[in-house]
Amino acid sequence: MSMGTLEKLAVLADGAKYDVSCASSGVNKHNRGGIGNSKSFGICHTWSADGRCVSLLKILLTNYCIYNCNYCVNRNQNDIPRASFTPREVADLTIQFYRRNYIEGLFLSSGIERSPNHTMERIYQVLDILRHEYHFYGYIHVKVIPGADPALVNKTGLLADRMSINIEQPTEQSLKLLAPQKTLPVLFAPMNQIHHQMTQNASERKIFRHVQKFVPAGQSTQMIVGASKDSDLSIIKATETLYNRFQLKRVYYSAYVPVNEGPNLPALSTSPPLLREHRLYQADWLLRFYSFKADEIVNEQSPFLDTDFDPKISWALRNMQLFPLEINQASYEELLRIPGVGVTSAQRIIRQRRLGNISYNHLKKMGVVLKRAKYFITCQGCYYGGIPAESALVRQALTPVAKPVQLCLF
Amino acid sequence: MDYLYDGSFDGLLTSIYYSYYEQRAQGIYSEASYQFNMFTPSTVIQSDPVLAARVYDAIDRKISVYSLMQIYYVYLSNNTAKENLILKYLQLGFQLGPKIDSIHSHPEVLPIRQTAKKVSFEAERFLGLLRFTDTRNYLYAVLEPDHNILILLADHFADRLAGERFIIHDKKRSLAIICNKKDWYLSDFSEEAAIPDSETEQLYQELWAKYFTGISIENRKNKKLQSHFIPQRYRHNLVEFRKSELL
Repeated sequence: MSMGTLEKLAVLADGAKYDVSCASSGVNKHNRGGIGNSKSFGICHTWSADGRCVSLLKILLTNYCIYNCNYCVNRNQNDIPRASFTPREVADLTIQFYRRNYIEGLFLSSGIERSPNHTMERIYQVLDILRHEYHFYGYIHVKVIPGADPALVNKTGLLADRMSINIEQPTEQSLKLLAPQKTLPVLFAPMNQIHHQMTQNASERKIFRHVQKFVPAGQSTQMIVGASKDSDLSIIKATETLYNRFQLKRVYYSAYVPVNEGPNLPALSTSPPLLREHRLYQADWLLRFYSFKADEIVNEQSPFLDTDFDPKISWALRNMQLFPLEINQASYEELLRIPGVGVTSAQRIIRQRRLGNISYNHLKKMGVVLKRAKYFITCQGCYYGGIPAESALVRQALTPVAKPVQLCLF
Repeated sequence: MDYLYDGSFDGLLTSIYYSYYEQRAQGIYSEASYQFNMFTPSTVIQSDPVLAARVYDAIDRKISVYSLMQIYYVYLSNNTAKENLILKYLQLGFQLGPKIDSIHSHPEVLPIRQTAKKVSFEAERFLGLLRFTDTRNYLYAVLEPDHNILILLADHFADRLAGERFIIHDKKRSLAIICNKKDWYLSDFSEEAAIPDSETEQLYQELWAKYFTGISIENRKNKKLQSHFIPQRYRHNLVEFRKSELL
């Protein structure tokens, strides 16, 4: 491999880094006479200076692009260094990194060089080399190019573990503003196709055991936060729809990092809305693991998530009439709704209380965050909050105290 | 009576056997690190695979597989009082049976859960943090973990790198997993000889370091978060941290 690879890698990794998806989870595979395997819990290999995990080799096949999406660093009007990998270069690089245990697999995305079909075909070639020449059983995440032929998507899906189509914006209006060449129906079409084929594949595999798996780790998507004026309400609503309609595994949020100038975009000096992104992820967890509905998290009256409190506390403070809950009697679903109680601690409570009552002292050892939970629970009939369980008072008690600042004369 | 064992898992289980069938153990200690005292008599236990297997089966049958795994993880930990934690846990376990798996907050159970968690967490961490160097003849990786996790990594890498010869070297304990394309074994290993890099090795290390520095987003820089995930003590064995400082 020539030294040119170093420069190409720099250019093409730079173009891919704004994609936040990093998971290598959702599929268990053994090595059957080649190289590699996959663990369903996913393995992180390192963490970059921004604290994000690096699990997959995340690169673009090319950063030439015929599209001109406003928010994207690779849009065709940008004057940036451009490069392309050949499918073989990508496959070789993946295998060499993989052998050394730098990575868990490949995340392959691409700018659209000539046409969606041309690009999708080249992505397929990479997977073909990896799966059929190297017999690679590691993880592969592939970006679907919107507008590509369904047949191409299908044959790529048979080799990939996860596929994703980024919808980027939660509403048609903001998409029109920022990516005028894309529309939601064009993005939803392949998503729908993948979902449909995954369902079909699952039922076929019940009858014929040796049917090849189609996208076994499911599909995911990404939305940019803060590039348009969309509220958290529309983002969370859109997320819920995606989970229900296409059974997505994950929806990722990406705090918008200003890379371009444009009339419809935030100024270049804006810092990425990291706290907002964090709150959205917390809300996403509530949807996926805590059986919350989008309406419960945000509503028309308050379309943005509270910055001071996590979404679960906000919900609890709005619904103080449901609390305090008795730890020894509440159902699993009710336990999950208590701020400070998570999935693990709720399961521990359920198991342990079969053998005897749980006292307040036990709770901390089980991983319950009493600092938050104490206002919302009773334990063997006793309330330990110290102040009446009223919304205003609890809100005040939970409000984070501003850090004291050293006074200065000058 | 204090029982002294040779440091092997079999030895530990044999001591537990004697604690039930001979004289009740006040404590179990590793022979190498035991400090004699005037008041407690002590005896050295010869580890016996047959007796150990009986205890092993008894834990599996009368308590649970989960508990068996938990005490094995604790045995691998660097906790200095681990033998006594295990002894007390098993004494409670043989009274309660599988119920012991559900009482997380019990004073004899909690330390076992916490210690086992640390070990399994570190083992999982090293599935990702191990870095192999290609030496032309075999792949070589070195690590210095807090706990003795080497054996927990073996199956994973033997499956993943089937068809490659590799050595995973725990420098701290002078142990290594040696895998010859198919089968692996654990062995004492203290080779310090410089390992020759293959020609392409330097290039791939450079590519990886370049990729690693390039992938981070400047506006989101958060060194504290990075340190949270990847503590300083692991970094000197990681290519990307060694190299990226030079870039």
